[in-house]
Amino acid sequence: MDLSLILEIDDLTVGATTPGAAPILDHISFRLSTSEIFGIYGESGAGKTVLSRALANWLPESLQYRAGRVAFAGHDILGAGAREVRVGRDIAYIGSKPQSALDPTVPVGVQIAEKLHSVRPEWNGRECRDRVMQLLGEVRIPSPKERYWDYPSKFSGGMMQRAMIVDAICAEPAVLIADNVTQPLDVTIAAQIVALLHDLCTRHKMATIYLSSSLPTLGQFGDRTAVLYQGRFVEQQPFDELLASPQSDYTRKAIASVPRMWETAEGPLARRQAQGEAPLMKVENVHRTYRARKRGTFNSHSNIQAVRGVTLDIMPRENFGIVGESGCGKSTLTRLLAWLETPDSGSIVLNGTSLGALSSRELIRKRNEFQLLLQDPYNALPPRTTVGRMIEESLLIRGSIKRADLRTRVIAEMAEVGLAAELYDQLPNALSTGERQRISIARALILDPKLLILDETLSALDQREQGRLIELFSKLQEKNDLTYVFISHDLAMVRKVCTRIAVMYLGEMVEIADNHDLFFDPQHPYTKALLSAAPTLEQKPFDPSDFLLEGEPPSPIDIPAGCSFASRCPKAFGRCRMETPALVEHSPGRFAACHLLDGDQAQAAA
Amino acid sequence: MLILEFLVKRIAQGLLIVFITSLIIFTLLRVVPGDPVRLIVGGMAPPDVVEKVATKMGLRDPIIVQYGRYMSGLLQGDLGQSYLRPRSGMIAAGGQYVDPTKSDMALVTDLILERLPFTLQLGGMALLFALLISFPVGIAGGLHQHRWQNALAFGMQSLFVSIPNFWLAIVLILFLSIKLKLLPALGYQGFSYVILPALVLAVEIAPFIIRTLTTSLGEVMQAPFIDEARVRGLSRRRIVYSHALRNAAVPLVNLLGIQLSTLIGGVLVIEYIFDYPGLGNLTVVSVVGRDFPVIQGIAITTSAVFVFINIIVDLVAYLIDPRVEI
Ligand SMILES: Nc1ncnc2c1ncn2[C@@H]1O[C@H](COP(=O)(O)OP(=O)(O)O)[C@@H](O)[C@H]1O
Ligand code: SF4
Ligand SMILES: [Mg+2]
Repeated sequence: MDLSLILEIDDLTVGATTPGAAPILDHISFRLSTSEIFGIYGESGAGKTVLSRALANWLPESLQYRAGRVAFAGHDILGAGAREVRVGRDIAYIGSKPQSALDPTVPVGVQIAEKLHSVRPEWNGRECRDRVMQLLGEVRIPSPKERYWDYPSKFSGGMMQRAMIVDAICAEPAVLIADNVTQPLDVTIAAQIVALLHDLCTRHKMATIYLSSSLPTLGQFGDRTAVLYQGRFVEQQPFDELLASPQSDYTRKAIASVPRMWETAEGPLARRQAQGEAPLMKVENVHRTYRARKRGTFNSHSNIQAVRGVTLDIMPRENFGIVGESGCGKSTLTRLLAWLETPDSGSIVLNGTSLGALSSRELIRKRNEFQLLLQDPYNALPPRTTVGRMIEESLLIRGSIKRADLRTRVIAEMAEVGLAAELYDQLPNALSTGERQRISIARALILDPKLLILDETLSALDQREQGRLIELFSKLQEKNDLTYVFISHDLAMVRKVCTRIAVMYLGEMVEIADNHDLFFDPQHPYTKALLSAAPTLEQKPFDPSDFLLEGEPPSPIDIPAGCSFASRCPKAFGRCRMETPALVEHSPGRFAACHLLDGDQAQAAA
Repeated sequence: MLILEFLVKRIAQGLLIVFITSLIIFTLLRVVPGDPVRLIVGGMAPPDVVEKVATKMGLRDPIIVQYGRYMSGLLQGDLGQSYLRPRSGMIAAGGQYVDPTKSDMALVTDLILERLPFTLQLGGMALLFALLISFPVGIAGGLHQHRWQNALAFGMQSLFVSIPNFWLAIVLILFLSIKLKLLPALGYQGFSYVILPALVLAVEIAPFIIRTLTTSLGEVMQAPFIDEARVRGLSRRRIVYSHALRNAAVPLVNLLGIQLSTLIGGVLVIEYIFDYPGLGNLTVVSVVGRDFPVIQGIAITTSAVFVFINIIVDLVAYLIDPRVEI
């Protein structure tokens, strides 16, 4: 490895332009050699983005350098050397918001070539274009020659992040700054991007600063890692040593807060269905297809098959989890379960009553029994609504309660979810996310529901607050005989809370199993892939390298024949592309839809 | 393919709009007070002569019959003949009885085709002047939101909005034309005659362009992709001229489509003041003289121009930003 020094940072201090404000970066110093990968961990707000911008001489107007030096190959880029070093050519940056990084009105490839030509004017237009096309292929964007001409809105988040990687590396920079690049991406896509970036950095010999708010992600690089806390480096060590012997309390806490999924075999206890017990909610073969007009045609439509034949039984007092990546149909299914949308076909039966058969009058009464928890009631309600008013609103809509009793009832409900009674007359402006969640729980609970549907409810919270709410949920469950459906992309949360879990892919359930079975002995290749890609610091109970996925899920418009996972499945074989596997109960309580699980077939294929 | 579909759809829509406009104008002309026959035959003619002429001209038939007759002519490209203007070009004044049913009256199509180029020239020049005034001011104002450039743009826009067009026209005629003898003003004897009226119209449209440009450019400059362009290594010039302006142009193009109606209204007044021989002037004279066929012809032409320009505007907006729904 070539170890000549490329970047020297000394005492870098950055703060707001307003005098007297505390610094945002405080005496940051480090060295970076060519071809080295340097990881920086920092929770959100620690100063990662400000640091990345400071290194590229790209501070926003409201911030300024207060002290320090940034030297690239010996040139001080904040002073005399600024002319020798060109940002975009010598130092490149990739951010965490690929979707808004390019001009929406110009094709992606054209913009990358434009950038390349302006920082490398010695390369002519043709050369730039060819190079960009070749690199688009290298980052595994399918059919790069056509995608070159596509507009940014046609790219998915993961594809756009690949394009931005091309944008950053095309001019052969010596230093690459990657600021939380996988943050907006689904786990399987994030895992691909990390692997890709690692490979590119080594092959193109770029010194790389990889900033991330996820320790496990940094672990995939494994090199020297610094911990940034409130604008300061609290320590720097090779990653393994950092984990083994953290030098500061902060680092210790950060490591402890990384969720663990396989640490203990315990988990929420599975509830076996008692003999003859009826499910609380019975979802039978529901379908939901949206029609969108095809562009460039008079009257032909494409069918977006968002939910395709989902069948579930949700037992009373169960915590049922539904997991899947973005776009797999989770939100549509949520709206169907909450009966905000009606399925095109199939039925949902709640407590013995089919929702589709109810008159709208009866439906309003029935709705008390199942409630969807709003993600953030504050945004869904008119401003200047007091906390008390928010909670009582649902009761008022349904009438039938005396004004005088209302307040006592609401305050009792607030106490139950852990909100102080003083909040009753206050506006929710100053409340934390956790407190707002409690408001929306109280709003739902006041109607005495049997079933609560929670869409990504806990994902936005930090670990401590999440823990408290989980406790609250289980307390409420005991007391009020509640059943929960958690819809989430967050595997660690689901592992902590749910008794039974369904895995969704492209509008279908591919596996349904009890918590322990799903995490320790997953059956379906997609489940294995999801678990493999989950960012944790643990040993996984199976070999993750067997289940790394390539590519992105197919579009719900052109669903391929056969198994819908076949285009990405590492285990796909001939039959998979011909025949759609059915969701079958292979052993009691364990459902999966994969041909490999038909014992004889699998042997025949192997 | 998409563009073809768009064109077919919009032209069909446009025809419908033109058809409805013509129907409305046609009906309105005949139900509001003001009888063209009385003007044609002169105030002194006895009522039975008026009735005789009116019947002969078909003006006493039910409106729907008249409209059917008019439409069947229109489908063959015949907009009818003027009630007032003989082929020679002279206007028949009240009292001199010219039989409007005879073939020596001017064809409406000819009248319009003769005037339309003048009006298009005036509108085009006005737009050009407006853009020349607004672009530097608007761009500077949009790029420097909290500096004097923005204040200048705001001041200029407020000033222009508050100047009445007829007042400005008179002031300019008095100063530039009569006192300083820099530019000719009344009538038309060559290209220089278009400059003053075009300037007045430009002042009328410019404030809208300035405002749209400053706000939309100001907004675009805040967009993350503009910020990010800097770290990608693009020069400031390139960021502003090839990306920010391009994005800011979409609302501007749409605005121009809408402002067209203001422009058309302005043309009417301005042409009359400057005695400019365009469609506006013809409109005023024809309305005063209740020259039904000419008024109808102008209404149809104007709505067709309006539809056409709006199609162009949407097409341009789509070409700039492919996300625009067309
Ligand atoms: N443009 C800015 N002006 C003032 N303060 C800022 C600005 N950008 C970020 N900050 C502050 O700097 C701190 C670090 O922010 P940031 O670098 O975005 O953190 P991270 O990227 O690690 O999440 C935060 O307290 C944030 O509020
Ligand atoms: S059926 Fe085939 S393609 Fe589908 S998951 Fe099983 S092995 Fe993979
Ligand atoms: Mg950040």
